[in-house]
Amino acid sequence: MEEERKTPRLDELERGPWPSFVTEIKRAAVKSEAADDLLGLLEKSYEDKVGHWKHGGIVGVKGYGGGVIGRYTDMPEEFPHLREFHTMRLNQPSGWFYTSEALRKICDIWEKHGSGLTNFHGSTGDVILLGTTTSELQPTFDEFSDAGFDLGGSGSDLRSPSCCVGPGRCEFACYDTLDMCFDLTNEYQDELHRPMWPYKFKIKMSGCANDCVAAIARADLSVIGTWRDCIRIDQDEVKAYAAGGLDIQTAVCDKCPTRALHFNARSGELSVDGEDCSRCMHCVNVMTKAIRQGREKGATLLIGAKSTIVKSAFLSWVVVPFMKLESPYTEFKELLSRIWDWWDENGKTRERIGELIYRVGMGEFLRAVGLPPVPQMVFRPRANPYVFWPEDEIVKQEQQAAPPESGQE
Amino acid sequence: MDKGPANPEIKEKVLQYLDTVEKAKSKDIAKAIGEEKGAVDLAVKELSMEDKVEYLYITTTFVALKGKVGAPA
Amino acid sequence: MAKTDKGPPDYRQFLPPIIKENYGKWKYHEHVKPGVLKHVGETGELYSIRVGSPRLVSVDFIRDICDLADEFCDGHLRFTSRNNIEFLTPDQAKVDPLIEACRAKGLPVGGTGKAMSNIVHTQGWIHCHTPATDASGIVKAVMDDLFEYFTRDDLPNKLTVAMACCLNMCGAVHCSDIAILGVHRTVPRINHDIIRKGTEIPSLVACCPTAAIRPDPKNKSVSLHNARCMYCGNCYTMSPGMEIMDAANDGIAILVGGKVSNARSAPSFSRMVIPFLPNNPPRWPETTEAVRHIVEIWVRQARKGERVGEWIERIGWERFFTLADIPFSDKLIDDYVFSRETYRTTAAFKY
Repeated sequence: MEEERKTPRLDELERGPWPSFVTEIKRAAVKSEAADDLLGLLEKSYEDKVGHWKHGGIVGVKGYGGGVIGRYTDMPEEFPHLREFHTMRLNQPSGWFYTSEALRKICDIWEKHGSGLTNFHGSTGDVILLGTTTSELQPTFDEFSDAGFDLGGSGSDLRSPSCCVGPGRCEFACYDTLDMCFDLTNEYQDELHRPMWPYKFKIKMSGCANDCVAAIARADLSVIGTWRDCIRIDQDEVKAYAAGGLDIQTAVCDKCPTRALHFNARSGELSVDGEDCSRCMHCVNVMTKAIRQGREKGATLLIGAKSTIVKSAFLSWVVVPFMKLESPYTEFKELLSRIWDWWDENGKTRERIGELIYRVGMGEFLRAVGLPPVPQMVFRPRANPYVFWPEDEIVKQEQQAAPPESGQE
Repeated sequence: MDKGPANPEIKEKVLQYLDTVEKAKSKDIAKAIGEEKGAVDLAVKELSMEDKVEYLYITTTFVALKGKVGAPA
Repeated sequence: MAKTDKGPPDYRQFLPPIIKENYGKWKYHEHVKPGVLKHVGETGELYSIRVGSPRLVSVDFIRDICDLADEFCDGHLRFTSRNNIEFLTPDQAKVDPLIEACRAKGLPVGGTGKAMSNIVHTQGWIHCHTPATDASGIVKAVMDDLFEYFTRDDLPNKLTVAMACCLNMCGAVHCSDIAILGVHRTVPRINHDIIRKGTEIPSLVACCPTAAIRPDPKNKSVSLHNARCMYCGNCYTMSPGMEIMDAANDGIAILVGGKVSNARSAPSFSRMVIPFLPNNPPRWPETTEAVRHIVEIWVRQARKGERVGEWIERIGWERFFTLADIPFSDKLIDDYVFSRETYRTTAAFKY
């Protein structure tokens, strides 16, 4: 008879008020031998303080190069059900909205074909299904496809685009993040499922500068909602906030990064120098009933964010200060296709677009994709004089008069 | 976005090239067989649907003939 | 064979009626109490009840929350970008009973407004092939320890904590108020037998971000320029013959002061304040203690509205090290590619 598995170290993580992932693995282990082996393997890691996974091999479903990540344990004899324990990524619905019916469908299919363990959600945004065998991949996909789901991205492809809750539940959304995310994901199914690029490419859409999906830190193309005209102030609501005890001078005006807001304590009115406002969202956040964004809404496009590996982490750089974003997003898509072509042509293997731009220069990128340089792209201009002048802007030697003879040998 | 069917000649050239290497990036396949990268991408897509090639993800994504690269040792 | 390239399910079929009616027409929102948001639209109100999850959950956990959504929200719910669950209902009368039902199931309600939200994190020893530490276990230990900060919303501002189990940073921790980062500290040990058996040498050489790996044709293997290696573990992905994990030396670094929001100050990176803490499973007491220490000083010292980084930038990093009584060392002074901008070029500073 098999001995009951002992996990004294993991059991320590079932204590405490925060819900326990160990309890969750144990729940899955009741029905899945792989989940039970995972308990044993994890206990082993907690004992010897190293991981026990290998990566690689070809795993996937027919016609796709993305959406499945191969995983194999380095201790297959001890944990035979983890010999193959691959991840599948299910492309999430925009804004991570679900009904219980849809979630139950995912649960039923995954319980049948895999370990029953999931992440809601992975860092990029997909539903992560943790652990199944190579032979189960195609049947799992087939059943998910019949139920209305599809795989997300992995490898050197477009990763599943993701977006904030947007107009679904937020008064700050400057464009329809949910619709745009759905539209782009459907438009670029080839790019999502068939890795063809130097490396990964992420698109994240936040409806305003609060950036709830951290687009500016994580997306090769960050789409961040903004407006062109001036914020709108409702003076009655300003008075209501003051009456309610909000210290408008300290909490709002003094924290305005451009000192664009002025509160007249005597009249109880708040005014703004529209040209000085940088649209950071602070005052709108604090006084949501009294201060609204302008009417002319769209987004700022920024490029190049990525995490640390290789050339340090980058935050995205402004390349289009303002673009109107309305279905079918034609201007956006045309720009995106020029960006992808240039990167695909010039990027080295495993070079993200931000690293490529940093290597060859922002000017080179802007010329290649046809974007006009504007001061909104930089905090401040260069301090060195090392300008690479294009040939057509300098006077050529043959056009010049003969140089004066040098006086001495 | 529908890109139409792939060129059968290019598909054949892709298969021939992949026979000579363990794995390759499609950009390098395009360079090696002297075809446009977009046409090669499309050929690889159809070949993967036909189960003749597979995508392989190790630090970046490569393309290989079906069954040529196994699980890690 | 099933149909390919269907794309994700259409989100519109999952929106509750109150959202469909007020889509793009929300007027304002209020923080009703910790864990409860009220959004007011033209045709009514929407209550969102936010609940923390361990992220790594069984299908039975998902079914549990489906039961709650069915009982209180006509089956409607969503997830946030920080792995919280949000139950969605237009009915104010459902809010307190739902919170009670969540508590009964051990689900914490909170994480809204000026609170600590859930820790976003990576796979760690659960499923990653190059981890320097676990992720879920440390997250559980830290969330247990800082539980009260999830359930109250009177902190100086919101607090985002993130955890990544190696410097690949799949969790993009690099712009968080507090980042817990797994770090390797030793170069990979080359197992020539494994490399000779099944590794394609050119790919292995090419995968190294700093060109520290060189071919060694005589040996039919590779050699390593140790001084160039920054322990990222990419080579282990290419070949299991490059053993990067080191039980005695792998551990955790703490970085603080990053943010992604543009409000008030520009988005910024987290900065390293503790270069190494030991891997001490199952509850990582050194790490939970270090994180709590930084959170408590911030709560005590920061002005209303200041994120961790805004507070530190106002008082100065040199002052932060004094106030926090955290030892400073040369390991905290950048010597990688963008180091220059971090050196002080003014004679004005504090102690």
